[in-house]
Amino acid sequence: MTYTRKRGMDAWLFMTPYTLSFAAFILVPVLVSLTLAFMQFDLTSRNSIQFVGTRNFSDALKDDYFWQALKATLFFVVLMVPCMITTGLAMAFGMNAMTRGRNTVRALLFLPGMLNVAVASILWGWFYNGEFGLFNYLLKGWGFAPKPWLSDRSWAMPSAVGMNLWWAVGGTSVVLLAALQQIPRSIFEAAVLDGAGNSALLNRISLPLLRPVMLFVVVTNTIAGFQVFGPTFLLTRGGPELSTRALVQYIYETAFNNYRLGYGAAMSWLLFAVVATFALVQYRFLKRSVA
Amino acid sequence: MGAKTSLFLLALLAVILGFARSDFSVSSHHKLHIDFWNGWTGPDGRVALEMIRQFNQENPDVEVSMQRMEWGTYYNKLMVAEVDGRGPAVFVIHASTLPRMEQAGFLADVRDMFEGPRALPTSDFDDYVLNQVKYDQTYVGVPLDIHPQGLYCNADMLKQAGFVDANGNARAPENKEEFVRAIKSMQKLDASGHPDTWGFALTLWRNNFQALIPQFDGRYMDESGNADLDCKGNVEALEFLSSLEKQHLVPPPENGLGWVGYRQKKVAMVWDGVYMLGDLKRLEDMPYIGAPIPVLGHHAGTMADSHVLCIQKTMSPERRDAAERFIRFLSEHSIQWAGAGQVPARKSVRNSAEFAKMPVQYAFSKQIPTMMYPPRTHILFELSLEIDLAVEKVMRGRATPDEALKVANKNCQTFIDRDRRERQAKP
Repeated sequence: MTYTRKRGMDAWLFMTPYTLSFAAFILVPVLVSLTLAFMQFDLTSRNSIQFVGTRNFSDALKDDYFWQALKATLFFVVLMVPCMITTGLAMAFGMNAMTRGRNTVRALLFLPGMLNVAVASILWGWFYNGEFGLFNYLLKGWGFAPKPWLSDRSWAMPSAVGMNLWWAVGGTSVVLLAALQQIPRSIFEAAVLDGAGNSALLNRISLPLLRPVMLFVVVTNTIAGFQVFGPTFLLTRGGPELSTRALVQYIYETAFNNYRLGYGAAMSWLLFAVVATFALVQYRFLKRSVA
Repeated sequence: MGAKTSLFLLALLAVILGFARSDFSVSSHHKLHIDFWNGWTGPDGRVALEMIRQFNQENPDVEVSMQRMEWGTYYNKLMVAEVDGRGPAVFVIHASTLPRMEQAGFLADVRDMFEGPRALPTSDFDDYVLNQVKYDQTYVGVPLDIHPQGLYCNADMLKQAGFVDANGNARAPENKEEFVRAIKSMQKLDASGHPDTWGFALTLWRNNFQALIPQFDGRYMDESGNADLDCKGNVEALEFLSSLEKQHLVPPPENGLGWVGYRQKKVAMVWDGVYMLGDLKRLEDMPYIGAPIPVLGHHAGTMADSHVLCIQKTMSPERRDAAERFIRFLSEHSIQWAGAGQVPARKSVRNSAEFAKMPVQYAFSKQIPTMMYPPRTHILFELSLEIDLAVEKVMRGRATPDEALKVANKNCQTFIDRDRRERQAKP
C-alpha cells in the first residue's frame, strides 16, 4: 500500500464515527422530513397516509397561524439580535479594558449560559411573576407601578428577549472579547501617537477589525433567533393570545400535539428557507463590508 | 490507595453489582411485568404508588411498575411509543382524548371486563361516563374517576362575609345573586383604593368558561358534528364571565392571581378541578370548603373529564389477564384513589360511608348528573386553543363574546372539514 493511499484510508477511519453519526442523526432525519413534507401523514390516521405533492406547503402559506407565528419569530429576532450584539460588544470592551479580574468576570458572565434553558426560564418566570416576582417587588419598592411582564401582549416578547439575553449574552461576549484581544496593541499605540481619540480608536480600528467575527456572531445569533423555542414556550406557552408563539412552537404543536407530521415537516422546511435566506443576505452584506 | 487495591475494589464492586442485578432478574423473571404509564406527577402519583405496592403484594405473580410524566408531554410520548410498538401494557388517558387514540387504533377492546362472572358491573357506572369509553358495541377502557370543576372557598372569609349555615359553618354561595354578593362582600381594598383581596378570581380561563357552558345550555358541536361554538348558550356564558371583569369583580387579565392567589389567601373563591385538592391538603393553615359551582345560568352544571384505564392491543393472554386484574383492582379500590382528590367513577364507591367523609370530593360529586365532558372530537387540541383564544380576547376587552366565538367557530369548522377530508382520503 502506498503512503498516500494509507493516509487516505487513515483519514476515512478517523472520519467514520462522525460520518456514521451524521448520517444517522442528521442526514436520514433530514431526508425523512423532506419526504414527510410532501405527504399527508397523521399518526392517528395511518390508513390515510398518502403523497399529496406540494399541498402542505400551499396550505401553510394560506394558514393565518403560520404567518402569525412567523411574525412573532421575526419580532423576536429583530429585538434579540441587535440587543445581543450591542450588549455583547459592550461587555467585551469592558472586559478588554479590565486590568484585574477579567477571567473571573468572564466566567461569571458565561455562567448563565451553562444553565439548561428550562432552568433559566423557570427562574425568570418567577422573576417576572406579576404578584410575587422579583422585578415587580423592586419596582414597587422604588415607587413604580408593577408591570405585566408576561401577561400583556406588548410586554411578553420583550420580556422573553430579556431572559434570552441574560442566558446567552455571555457566549457572544466571550467570542467578541477573544477577537478583540487578537487585535495587535501596536495598532492602537500607533493610532494614539497619531492623535486618535477614543471614538476614532473604536470606529476606525476596533469595529472594522472585529467585522469578520461580527459576521459570524450576527449570522449564528440570527439562526438561533429563528429557532427560538425554549424561552418563549417555557415562559409564556406562546401567549398572551399567541403573541409569543414562535414558528418552532407551532411546528412542534402541529407535529406532536396534533400528530400531523407531514404538515409540520412542510412548515419546518419553510422555516429553513426563511433562515437560509436571512443568513445568506447577512453573509453577503457583511462580507462585502469586511472586504 | 495503590493501583492494585483500587482495581481489586472495582472488580469486587462489579461482582457485587452483577450479583445484585442477577438476583433482581431471577426474582422478577417468573413474574409478569406490567408497565403502567400515567401523568399523575402530583400528590395523586404517590397515592397511585401506594395502590400499586398493595396490588404487587396481593398478586405475587405480577409486578406492576409505574412511570409518571407531565401530561403536557405524556400524550406525545405515549403516541410515539404506541406507534413503535413499545407502548405500556396499561395506560391512563383522559376521556376527552379517547377519540384520537381510538382512531389511531391503539386501544384494546375491554368488553370482557364488563362481562362474565368477574365483570365490573356496567350498572355501577353512570351511563354518561360509560358512553365516553364506548365505541359501537365495544368498550376501549375502564373509567377510574370523574373530575368535575367545582367551587373552592376560603371558609374564614365566607364566615366573615356572613355566609354561614344553621350550624355556624361556612356556606358556599349557591346562585347568581349569592355569588355576586359573596364576591363583593369579600373584596377588600387597600389604602390606595385598589383591591387587596379579591372575592373571586378566574384560574384556567378555558376551563372556567367550559364549566359554564352546560349551565347556559351551550354546546361545542351540533348533531351533525359541525362546530357550534357561537351558539346562544356559549355567548351567554362568556358574557357572564366578561361581566365579572367589566364590573371589576375579578382581578384584571394581566394580574397573575388565580389558584396561587387562592392559596395565598388573596382570593376568596375560585373554580378548579377536584384534583387541586391534593395541593390544598399540603397547606396547613388553609381553611377551605368545596362546593358545586353556583347556578349562574339557567340551571346547575359544570365541566368534567375522567381518567380512563386502557390496555395495549397486542399482549399475550397471560399479560392481558394480569393487566385486567390490575385495572379491576384499581377500580375496586377507587376509594383510596378518591383520597388523592378524585371522585370515583363507581357509584357503589361514591355511595359508601367512607366517601361521604371526604367533604370536597363528595360536594363536587353532586354535580355528576349535570356535568358535561369536552366533545368527542379528533381536533380536541385545536378546538381547545380556539376556545382559549376566544376567552382571552373577550377578557382582555379586545372582542365581544359573540365576535370572539364566531371567529373560533369558523376556525374550528375549518379544522373539522380538514379532518373529515383527510380521514376519508384513501392512499
